[in-house]
Amino acid sequence: MAEAEEQQQPQPAAPQSGGRSDGGEEAAEGGAAAGAAEPGPTAAGSPGTEEPAGDAKKKIDVLLKAVGDTPIMKTKKWAVERTRTIQGLVDFIKKFLKLMASEQLFIYVNQSFAPSPDQEVGTLYECFGSDGKLVLHYCKTQAWG
Amino acid sequence: MTDDKDVLRDVWFGRIPTCFTLYQDEITEREAEPYYLLLPRISYLTLVTDKVKKHFQKVMRQEEVSEIWFEYEGTPLKWHYPIGLLFDLHASNTALPWSITVHFKNFPEKDLLHCHSKDVIEAHFMACIKEADALKHKSQVINEMQKKDHKQLWMGLQNDKFEQFWAINRKLMEYPPEDNGFRYIPFRIYQATTERPFIQKLFRPIASGGQLHTLGDLLKDVCPSAVTPEEMWLSNLRIDLRWRAEDSSDDSWN
Repeated sequence: MAEAEEQQQPQPAAPQSGGRSDGGEEAAEGGAAAGAAEPGPTAAGSPGTEEPAGDAKKKIDVLLKAVGDTPIMKTKKWAVERTRTIQGLVDFIKKFLKLMASEQLFIYVNQSFAPSPDQEVGTLYECFGSDGKLVLHYCKTQAWG
Repeated sequence: MTDDKDVLRDVWFGRIPTCFTLYQDEITEREAEPYYLLLPRISYLTLVTDKVKKHFQKVMRQEEVSEIWFEYEGTPLKWHYPIGLLFDLHASNTALPWSITVHFKNFPEKDLLHCHSKDVIEAHFMACIKEADALKHKSQVINEMQKKDHKQLWMGLQNDKFEQFWAINRKLMEYPPEDNGFRYIPFRIYQATTERPFIQKLFRPIASGGQLHTLGDLLKDVCPSAVTPEEMWLSNLRIDLRWRAEDSSDDSWN
């Protein structure tokens, strides 16, 4: 599942500037994730600092946790575009860890389910994020089935 | 739940009459006849088309055959979407039977996931069930089940066994009496009019005042452009009932 070539690679996340409460029944974010697809590259620059505050953030913070004897990422926290897919993240992690393309990598949300490769991290963040970030576990073997 | 059994059965046994035709550029040893099949709306293309594959492979040489994939009017069909959803999104306004084109070459890597075995379909199906339960019950119900219960869900779907499936699924549709519903409703809204994959957000079944949220409330909240305030029409909007959230009252629809 290829993505728009203009999309930036994930960047290390800036220090957290305000959390997002669990719950979401406020629905305050009013369809930000559901609106128009991002048309082109976002501004390059230092991670996080050019982001508009609050709901209109194009990037979300992802925390990557290794499972079992899978190599640990030196940088664990990344600012990732909402429209980046799980497959895109898998490819990025494999490159970063210098794994072979043929090696498998499984990603889990809530240590309970493996999202589809074409699922967008923005949607996962909306539904399963907490404390302003989406925690994802990654593993070279199947961990939670 | 027993009152809804008729609805549950209607959803389960929904079928779409389909005509499969081999893509004209595929190389065959003789003429390939079209193949007709009633497709279950709740299942997945690669799970129910073994006979289609066999039928067309009979007229082709082995070396011409690699992974099967399906297309409708130039659009590759995502096997990991339920069949009913694919039909509603792409072909609901056209005459039946639904005409699907079958390919065995030039797999569109950018558009489709691979499906090398039934295990892949099972894994995808179970991941959907688990994601839904993460929203409904913080995964408590699905995690308390044994492996054999998970298997029964899958076998029920694979073998079209309503009772076998619902013997387990009903536990996923229950909630403690002190709660008034699930934690969040698992839903996805697909629209034919946009490039966006789908809308999925957190949405509670009960409003802060204690009243039940209706389907209309959900749509107004997450997809306001699709509804007009007075009439609540479904326009260019298809809701995936696959997730089968418990039946909040639909009395907002006239």
